[in-house]
Amino acid sequence: MGLEIRDVEHSFGDRVALDGVSFDVVPGVITGLLGPNGAGKTTLLRILLGVLSPDHGQVRYDGRPVDEEDRRRWGYMPQERGLYPGMPAGDQVVYFGRLHGLSNGDATSRARVLLEELGLEDRWGDRTDKLSGGMQQRLQLATALVHDPAVIVLDEPFAGLDPVAVVSLSETLRQRARAGRTVLFSSHQLDLVQDLCEDIAMVDRGRTVLQGSVATLRASSGRRQLRLHVQAPNRDWLLAYPEVTVVGDEADDLRLEVPADIDPLDVLDAARAAGRVVDFGLDLPTLSQLFMAAADRTLDRAGVS
Amino acid sequence: MGTWWKLTRLVAERALFENLRSRSFKVVTGLLLLMSIAAVTIPQILGNERTTYTLATAGAAPSEMVAALDAAGRSAKFTVTYVSRGDSNAVRKAVRDGDATVGLTGGTLYTSNTAGGTFPVVVAQAVVGLETSHLLAGAGLSPQQVAELQSVRPPKQVTVGRVDNEGRAGAGLAVGVVLYLAITFAGTAIATTVAMEKSTRISEVLLAILRPSQVLVGTVVAIGTVTLLQLLVLATPLAVAVRVTDSIGLPPVAAGDITLAVAWFLLGFMLYAFLFAAAGALVNKITEVNSAILPVTMILLVGYMLAITVVTSNPASGWSVAASLFPLSAPMAMPIRWASGDVPIYQLLLAMALTAASSVFLVSVASSIYRRALLITGHRVKLREVLGGRAL
Repeated sequence: MGLEIRDVEHSFGDRVALDGVSFDVVPGVITGLLGPNGAGKTTLLRILLGVLSPDHGQVRYDGRPVDEEDRRRWGYMPQERGLYPGMPAGDQVVYFGRLHGLSNGDATSRARVLLEELGLEDRWGDRTDKLSGGMQQRLQLATALVHDPAVIVLDEPFAGLDPVAVVSLSETLRQRARAGRTVLFSSHQLDLVQDLCEDIAMVDRGRTVLQGSVATLRASSGRRQLRLHVQAPNRDWLLAYPEVTVVGDEADDLRLEVPADIDPLDVLDAARAAGRVVDFGLDLPTLSQLFMAAADRTLDRAGVS
Repeated sequence: MGTWWKLTRLVAERALFENLRSRSFKVVTGLLLLMSIAAVTIPQILGNERTTYTLATAGAAPSEMVAALDAAGRSAKFTVTYVSRGDSNAVRKAVRDGDATVGLTGGTLYTSNTAGGTFPVVVAQAVVGLETSHLLAGAGLSPQQVAELQSVRPPKQVTVGRVDNEGRAGAGLAVGVVLYLAITFAGTAIATTVAMEKSTRISEVLLAILRPSQVLVGTVVAIGTVTLLQLLVLATPLAVAVRVTDSIGLPPVAAGDITLAVAWFLLGFMLYAFLFAAAGALVNKITEVNSAILPVTMILLVGYMLAITVVTSNPASGWSVAASLFPLSAPMAMPIRWASGDVPIYQLLLAMALTAASSVFLVSVASSIYRRALLITGHRVKLREVLGGRAL
């Protein structure tokens, strides 16, 4: 069943942060909550976690309104680091494990396994503020995962990470999703997380502008481009597809934009009938391109990086 | 409720261990212990030192005089040393130069006007006594009759007045001072902890798991325990000294007052702790803690001033009764008033009940401020933003 976010609204005074956001997060499917800075992502995650209460709408889990006990079994990693600077790394993980209801013994053994998985096993006794930024980030992740939560919520987990750390964090999240956990994270770096998310919910100015499976959204978008290197005497074969736009045409290299109702494979077949196709490819739109289209923004006024 | 306490205890345990492990705790506690030991032992050392007076005479002091002064010294706890000089001028010079406390030649007693206390009077009395004995003996009295006359003593002096009560009032005042300082220090520690959790964004993780009241009560309990521990450290040498030597001069009635003081510390601490915690949640950076807690410190200071000025001057006045019942001043005013000895027990219980009820009320106010203020970052939160208005 997973998480259902239904028509959630929230304002800070006169400023509307969320204006009726709805989407689902399915167990086992890594879901990205995407959008530019200030879109309302953090507010929504805080509402999910019960740190804020919605003005309107509901968060449901397993088919019923979520309660305090549910949330104690979830794991949350906030956008900014929240660790006790003077506490040894291992103790920190054990403490959060116990807050989530583990016994001291369980929390300790799980913390050891987790720190090993995250490459922090020899840092158990080090003071947290003596660890590097990347290590603190992994320690923060450990405090969110120590009780093996059924629902994992991460706010901007990739912000400020180096490429190696991005890959390793992605792998950790994929493992949890494969194990059937419900994983939701937010990000404003749309293209960075394009390959990690399976489902997305895109929000802009407090509203959901796009949601669903990334693969379907990208494939069904009208922004697909077919790339062809075709050795044909002319372009007459293209006349059969008046809806297909030629974006680029240099020597034998063709770049065509294929609308949603035309199968790119048919276009490819027509090209093969007309000449020898040496190379071809289908470029799907990036998540930021999808966002621009959905949010009806042009690059110059969008806050997307 | 079971889970509420379990999680609150976890919060308290963590904060307690962190405090006990910290260097500042070790340093402060060590200093307190040293201060307390010093306060007990230094007066002892000074008190045991016997006073020594020196008597200068022309030629050796007469043996009768020596016997009389030594006898006086035994009863009044002083020692007399004797120096002999050649003539009265030399005796006079010895006193002037400070080599002797008092000089005696012929019929003249030389004293300096700087020191000596009652010694000149003692010497003068001894001279008069000896002269009188000689005259009486010359008048035909037997040595036994002379001795009888010599043994006449002035009546024994017993100070009555209100010594006991004054001592007790002193103890009450000391309790007031210690309570004020303890609440200030502990309150600052609580505000600092809350501000640290806010500025490092730990509170956001905590609020996802815990209720604000659990975080607040846990923190307050931990720091209260630490402060109580430090108060015990401060009080232990005193208590040991009272048991062992019984010479601290602590009035015996104070024991009950001190027990009561511990109870008042707990009540007063709980009351103010939540105000301090709420103030700590308003900061943006940890360096703003001092200015954020200023209003609370001011309230505490006013309560304390009220306690020591109004209550000490007249514990029975209407204002004193009011100050000792009003929750924000009661923790300091009531112990002082109680020490005056004429507070009806129902007033004590009423004051305690009011203070306890107020702190329960303040937990909920502070929790609400805490929850709202923690999520407002980037600037110092004004009370207006978190009080009233619509709920977040």
